[in-house]
Amino acid sequence: MSQQEDRDEDALLDDVSDIETRSLSTRTKSIVSAVIVFHLLAVFMPPLLFQTRSMVLGGSPLIRSASRPFLGYGQFLYLDRGYAFFAPDPGPSRVIQVAVVNEDGTISETILPDRERQWPRLLYHRHFMLTEYLSESYVEPGPPEILIETAPEDAEWWRRGRARYEDLRQSMVDHLRGLHPGKEVALRRLVHYIPSREDYEVEPIALNDLRLYEVLLDQATYEVIAEPSTEVIPPPSVEGEPQELPPTTGDPENTPADSEPSEEGVQPGVPEGTQQ
Amino acid sequence: MSGGASGETYSAAVARAFRAWDWFWFTPTRPHTLCLLRVLTGAMLLYCHLVLASDLEAFVGPDAWINNDMARQLHDGAFGDADWARSYLWHIESPTLIWTHHLVTITVTAMMMFGAATRVTVPLSLFLQLMYLHRLTPALFGLDQIVTYTTMYLAFTPCGACFSVDAWLRNKGAAKGKASSIRRWMFQDDRPSVAANIGTRLLQLHLCVIYMFGGLSKARGGSWWDGSAVWYAVANYEYQSLDMTWLSGYPGLLLGLSLATLFWEVFYCALVWPRVSRPFVLAVAVGVHGGIALFLGMSTFGLMMIIANGIFVAPSLLQSKDQREFDQMLASIEQDDDDGDEPPDDYEDIDLLNEVQDDERQRLNRKREKVANAASRVKRRYRALKKREEKYESRVKRLREREAKIKKFVERRKQKGEPELEGDDE
Repeated sequence: MSQQEDRDEDALLDDVSDIETRSLSTRTKSIVSAVIVFHLLAVFMPPLLFQTRSMVLGGSPLIRSASRPFLGYGQFLYLDRGYAFFAPDPGPSRVIQVAVVNEDGTISETILPDRERQWPRLLYHRHFMLTEYLSESYVEPGPPEILIETAPEDAEWWRRGRARYEDLRQSMVDHLRGLHPGKEVALRRLVHYIPSREDYEVEPIALNDLRLYEVLLDQATYEVIAEPSTEVIPPPSVEGEPQELPPTTGDPENTPADSEPSEEGVQPGVPEGTQQ
Repeated sequence: MSGGASGETYSAAVARAFRAWDWFWFTPTRPHTLCLLRVLTGAMLLYCHLVLASDLEAFVGPDAWINNDMARQLHDGAFGDADWARSYLWHIESPTLIWTHHLVTITVTAMMMFGAATRVTVPLSLFLQLMYLHRLTPALFGLDQIVTYTTMYLAFTPCGACFSVDAWLRNKGAAKGKASSIRRWMFQDDRPSVAANIGTRLLQLHLCVIYMFGGLSKARGGSWWDGSAVWYAVANYEYQSLDMTWLSGYPGLLLGLSLATLFWEVFYCALVWPRVSRPFVLAVAVGVHGGIALFLGMSTFGLMMIIANGIFVAPSLLQSKDQREFDQMLASIEQDDDDGDEPPDDYEDIDLLNEVQDDERQRLNRKREKVANAASRVKRRYRALKKREEKYESRVKRLREREAKIKKFVERRKQKGEPELEGDDE
């Protein structure tokens, strides 16, 4: 009999012997079952909590309480995910535009992520996720005075969210400065829209056409919302007198947000990070 | 308490549920599927680390896109609630140390892929991966989730039992005699084990959770119902890897793909268990994730999801012919030849158990007795074989001792220059 055959026979004998040893005791099974149940709940609760999230409550209080025992365990094992891939609706991408002022005064602009420079695709995708994360983290300047007065706790969360966004952006600007020592660097967030199928059928536009990009301004919008949006109807003009039209808030030229610099002093349309 | 139409009492139903739980989690399984997953997941994890190495300091370290302080503050409560996602990589500033750490990570992951010291390298790969995840938080996506979960479930299973350096070393060592308990633990064999079953079940259930919530999230959006979701996915320039905008001319096809994806994800958790629907569900998985890999620029994510779905492939498909025949022989002992009824099957047994009536339970009890008798016969046979083996081993030992004595004697004679014994070759 060859050695290989001996080994096969041994393996088969071991398998048979396993019949004797493979049965776990009831106590062991109970402990293992408890661990399994705990783990499965740690897997199940985060996406459930994610699904129950709403703009107002930020997650069902009941599910949040029920999730608490599993939170830390899930966070360490990276189980605290929502699994909402391309959901609820696939939307436009959020990218960044980087502007570098060269020594001769010219400006080099690039959009990140960049397929040409970031290769292989996985590296490109990591950069893409960074730009998406920056926009996801965006919290507009604030909080408004009225919120500070009426809901100081919410105002504090607003402030923290804003600080988080600003620190993230600053970290990215610092990285870019490291890549371009001695040069002025700025970045701004862009949204890259996708043409609807119907529009594309009518006009098959290139998907990277510049018309599909829009600069995301870093400015407070609540001031615009706070303004009354109803149009004041002018009284009927008296014959012989010139008619005077009141300004409307719908006109972007007259919005306070546009007319005043935002909290950090970044003018609309000016790349973020230039003031850092 | 009496039951419903079946007439089954509540306590009987509870007992049946416990038996089903016991069968589902504690039936020993061969580790072959897990071993193949270890090779493929290890390869993907290795690829991820190699790609990261191509621009390491842009992602890890003090000058990264997200610097160390920022990465730490995303988790330590500086901007909100603190969490348990901790990483020592937040504190490493030295590029030399960062590179050394990364080289160690690559080595460990390569060992996981090749199956070298898997008892140590797979859990270590998981730990290192988690440390990177908590450092790279803003740069992560679906690939990182699925590759981490697969590694996590492999970490406590005998996934190095085959297709591995460990298996090669085990076979090599087996020729030399009995192995110590540590060696047996390190170089695990491919016998059926409860650990392999639990790892398999956990990954299967985790996939069900992922797809179910993925589907439910999609169901909340209008675009998955009117077909525009697939259009917005394929026409997204940042994701696009192959131009699929020609689909704009086929709204019916877009709607079909969209609804198929939605329903498949929602019902995956139910349809993947019955043997009859499983091949179709897995085929759609290959189609959907293959599409993502080819057209949406996420070849790694698509491929890894297909690999993870491989957990539903039966280990018998990967076993050697001899071993499969042996398993079939054991299974045949447990089979009831009289009525041709199938024994509890891996995934459809829950349905089977639901149909069991009182009279059937008696029949099953008889069957259990039969199996127990058969098992005791096998045990007796095994003990007899073991005794024979022990005798054989002691005889071999004696013969080896005798051989050594003769050799020693011959050596001594040669040294003294005495003539060789009669019968020796010239």
